[in-house]
Parts: sequence; structure tokens; C-alpha cells
Amino acid sequence: MARLTLKNVFKRYRNKKNEAADYAVNDFSLSCDDGEFVGILGPSGCGKTTTLRMVAGLEEITRGDIYIGDTLINNLHPKDRNIGLAFEDYALYPPLNVYENIAFNLSAKGVAREEIDRRVREIAPLMKVDDLLEMKPAGLSGGQKQRVNIARALVRNPLVLLLDEPLSHLDGKMRQILRTEIKRIHNKIKCTTVLVTHDQLEAMSLADRIAIMNDGKLQQFGTPLEVYDNPVNVFVAGFIGEPPMNLMKVSILEESGKLFFLFPKKGIRVAVPSRYRSALRSGMEVTLGVRPTDIFISSDDGTGSEVTVDVFENLGDEKRISIDVGEEDFLTLMTEDERRYKKGEKIHLRFHEEKTHIFDPETGDRIQA
Amino acid sequence: MKNSPMEALARNSMLILWTIFALFPLFWMLVISFKSDAQMFNTTFVFDPTLENYQEVLIKTDYFKYFLDNIIVSGGAVIVSILVGVPAAYSLARFNFRGKEDLAFTILSFKFAPEILVVLPLFLIYQKIGLYDTYIGLIWVYQLITLPLLVWVLRGYFEDISVEVEQAAQLDGYKWYQIFFRILLPLVKPGLVASALLAFIFAWNSFTFPLLLSGFKIMPVTVASLRYIASDTVHYGQMAVAAVVTATPEVILAILIQKHLVRGLSFGAVKG
Repeated sequence: MARLTLKNVFKRYRNKKNEAADYAVNDFSLSCDDGEFVGILGPSGCGKTTTLRMVAGLEEITRGDIYIGDTLINNLHPKDRNIGLAFEDYALYPPLNVYENIAFNLSAKGVAREEIDRRVREIAPLMKVDDLLEMKPAGLSGGQKQRVNIARALVRNPLVLLLDEPLSHLDGKMRQILRTEIKRIHNKIKCTTVLVTHDQLEAMSLADRIAIMNDGKLQQFGTPLEVYDNPVNVFVAGFIGEPPMNLMKVSILEESGKLFFLFPKKGIRVAVPSRYRSALRSGMEVTLGVRPTDIFISSDDGTGSEVTVDVFENLGDEKRISIDVGEEDFLTLMTEDERRYKKGEKIHLRFHEEKTHIFDPETGDRIQA
Repeated sequence: MKNSPMEALARNSMLILWTIFALFPLFWMLVISFKSDAQMFNTTFVFDPTLENYQEVLIKTDYFKYFLDNIIVSGGAVIVSILVGVPAAYSLARFNFRGKEDLAFTILSFKFAPEILVVLPLFLIYQKIGLYDTYIGLIWVYQLITLPLLVWVLRGYFEDISVEVEQAAQLDGYKWYQIFFRILLPLVKPGLVASALLAFIFAWNSFTFPLLLSGFKIMPVTVASLRYIASDTVHYGQMAVAAVVTATPEVILAILIQKHLVRGLSFGAVKG
């Protein structure tokens, strides 16, 4: 087990004409502590798998350094990097049975037969594949294949365990089971682990810290709570959370000494939280971000903003109300009270002051209070 | 599928008809190989069987030499095709290089040209460079028959194997040749067996190339069968014997590999 450090890593692919294309990974730095579980989260094509493959040694590093512990691994052969990689599509060896698949790495290293046997029999029950050792990969279900895949990565006692979208090919139920399982195993062996995923739920539930990537660049690196509560820019704000954060273009309006967010097309106004007073001036345009769970329906005491319900959805334990504020998307809020709202009904809204974010509409960066 | 008695009857009778159509020539060949020249044209199924033709062909002529020639050139052609074709198929499946599809198509196009068309220029070239009537010359020209089949079948097999399997083995610390022999080869084996045997049969049956590109030193049985057409008469019985013996290895091979043949040419290497 060891720290994993990436320092200003770049990756650029060359296209067919040998011209340099855009950077697939652009100035990416990350530091995972010993035994930490880090998730790299981002939409497809953001460079997260490329990053992982550079750590594994399957992709060349265009520029930058990667360390495991204190060892620079840039030029080490994949097999000498002391990493375990669980591939996305399992990549088990079809001609070999499960036992041989798990043992394959050890036998390549020339580990003694008894030792191999001991290690395989130790890791197999941990991954719950001890009943499958005689079977060929073709006879296994997706979940079983992934267990074998992870067992194969773990059997070599890696310093760093890399998981490439381990749950993306599994169906809903199995995904949940294996997610819990991965958490359990990590708690048990405390191996430094990097998980690559496009599923925020996976990253939020498994990782100690999450690195969010977009367009090859690191957007934010922090605990799940940090990235959820304090997104540094519009991308992170919109990417994390389900249903997604409301992100709306608004202008600032000053009236009798008070600042308001104004939805220009419908003329709806919402009071600006007092902490933003110094940062905002009348006439500015900003992107307003507020999660559906942070908008409340208030009684009509004059402080809330009056709006009209456009869609009311009852999803059982939660209710969603959508309001047309004249923008592309509806403003969505969630409520748990038992009341049923009707289309056209007038309600009054109040935003959770602490959790109302504003972003620069040009750069997308968050404007600090 | 529903299986009403009428349907089953219809299906089976069609199959039986087809079987008769396909097997009757073989059967007829076998029958006339036991007939003497005297009874050749005045009997059909009732005649005095004789082994005279077999004696004539197998003992009194160099038939076994021709047979051996056929084994050498066909077997040699298939071995060369495997040595060249497996790496070729692998690189066509794995690597992206300029003109890749053109190259693949060129290999396939070897099979398009009618043999009789290409054999004349080849004849002249072979005469000039001394490949005429040599084993190497025939094995080389047989690549036109055997290589495209092997390359195209195996390319599909290699494409079906996920690159990640190879990368996993690389991470596990295996050298490329170990990966190739321990992981890839077992996966493409069904396709390799099927296409190699099919290629062998095609090479074995080849007639135009050996007829024109070899002379008296090397003569595969297909060409040698012509020798039973004498100037005055055609020894149908002896030709039939030559044909029966020639076809025997193919029939045995075909029966042995029947399962591989259908599976190997229709299935991919890695399923779901």
C-alpha cells in the first residue's frame, strides 16, 4: 500500500496524419493518500479512463510524472508497477478456469505452487468466488465475472488497486450488491484504490474523495460532501446530484436598497442572500444554482416569491414541482409535504440561503460571497 | 418451430433427395472402380466385381508417388499459409495502419481471378526463374488458394477477442509470445482448425495450377488421373480408382472435422 501521486500529467493522442490532437488529459494532478479510496468521476470521453490507463502503464504519458509511494513509475513496465487493474469488460482469460485466471499473475512471477494455492484460496472467499474456481469464464454471470476480475487484481497484493467502471455492465440489483461488496473489501484490506466511473452514485457512495473531470481537466477534488455542497463551478454543480441542480441565467435587480435575482422573461424575483451583497451589483448577470431540495414553499407572508405551478409529479416518497420561469429548463423543487398541488396554483418560494450558489456566466466559476 | 408430421415429412424427403444427389457421384465412382473395361458400358449395378483396376493403378504405376506429391504440396501450402496468415490476420485485426483495408481486400482478391487467367503469365515467369516443376513453386502458387481463406476467417476471430484480455496478460507480466500462445491461440483454434482443413481440401483438389505449373517431376494425383486417358481408349475403371483413392483422405478429414467445420466457420471466438 502506498500513496499515489500524479503531477501535472498530460496525454495527447496523435491522429492518423500524425498531427497532435487536443489533450485527452490536460494538466491533471491528484494525490491519493495511503489506503484512501478515490473516485475519478466524469462524463464519457472526459479522460478519466485514459488517466487510469496511464497509471497502469497501458498508455504512454505525454508529459508529467506519476509516483507510487516515492517511486517514479513513468518508465516502469506495467507488470513492475505493483498495481492491480480490474478491467471494465472483465477481460478474463476464456481458456482458463477461474482458479487459473486468478493464479495467472502469480504463476507468471514464478511463485511456488503451494504459495499460489494459499493466496488463491485466501482471496477467493473474500470475493465470494470460492464455489466457482473450477468454472470457465463463459459460464459465469456478469457479477461473478467482475468478482473474479477484482480477485485477480487483488491476488498480487497491489500497492494501488485500479477499478475501471467496475459496475457499469451489471444490472441494477447486482450493481448495488457489488457496490456494497467493494466498500466492504476496501474497509478490510485498506488498499489505496482508484475507481473510475461516470456514475455519481457509485463515486459518492464508495469514494473517500472524488476527483471530477471534464474535457481532460480536473474540476474539483474533494470529499463527496464538499463537491455536493460547495461545487467550484457550473460543471460540477450540474454533474453532481440527482435530480440535478437548477442552473438558471438571472440578472440582478436592486429595488429600495434590496437585491433580487430576476428571471427576466417572467419577471419573477427572488431575494438575494445577504452574504452575496458585496459581490453583486444591480444589472449584473449571473448563473444561479440551487438544488431542488433547497427550495421551500413558504406561507404567503410577503417574503417569498409568488410563482405558478406548471407540473406536479407525485413519485411516492417525494413530490416534484416544476415551474416555468421563462428559461430553457423548468425550475424544479422537491417537497415532502402531503399536499397535492394543481397546475396553475399560486405558491410562494424561498431559497435556502446557505445553499444558494451563484456562478460567473462567462467562466462558469463560482462567485464567492 | 412447429413440427407437424407433414412438415417433417416434407423436410426429410427434401433432405433425402439432396443426399442422393450429392452422394450418388461418389457411389457411382466407387462402383465403376470395380468394373472391368469389358463390362464398363453394358452393365449398371450387376456385374462381376474385379480388383484388376486397383492392381493396375496402385501397383503398376507410380500412383503413390503422385499421392505423396499431393500431400507435400497441399500440406506445405497450408503450413506456409498458417505461418504467414496467423500473424497477418492478427495485425489486420489489431493494428491501424495506412492501407489496412486495401491490403485485406488485396489478399481476398487473390480468390477472385480465374485460375486459368493468371496461370499463363505465371507459367512464363516460373519457366524463367526456375520455379517450374518444383515443390516450392507449387506451394507458393497454392497460397492464392489457401491464404485468403485463412486470413479472413482468423481476422474475424482475432477481432472478437477483447484487447483488454491481452492487456490484462501484459499486466500479469507475460511476454507477447506467451500471451499469443497461451491466451490467443486457444481462442482462435476452432477457426484455425476449420479454415486450415478447408484450405487443405481446396489445395488438394487444385487442378489448373499443377497441370500447367508442374511437369513430370512433380505430379499431384488430380493431374495424374489424366494419364488414364490413353490415346486409343479411356480407362474409366482406372480413373475411378485414382479418384476414389484421392478422395478418401478428404472424405475422412471432412467426417472427422465436421463439427469443427460448422462451428469454426460460423461462431466467433469469445461469446458474451
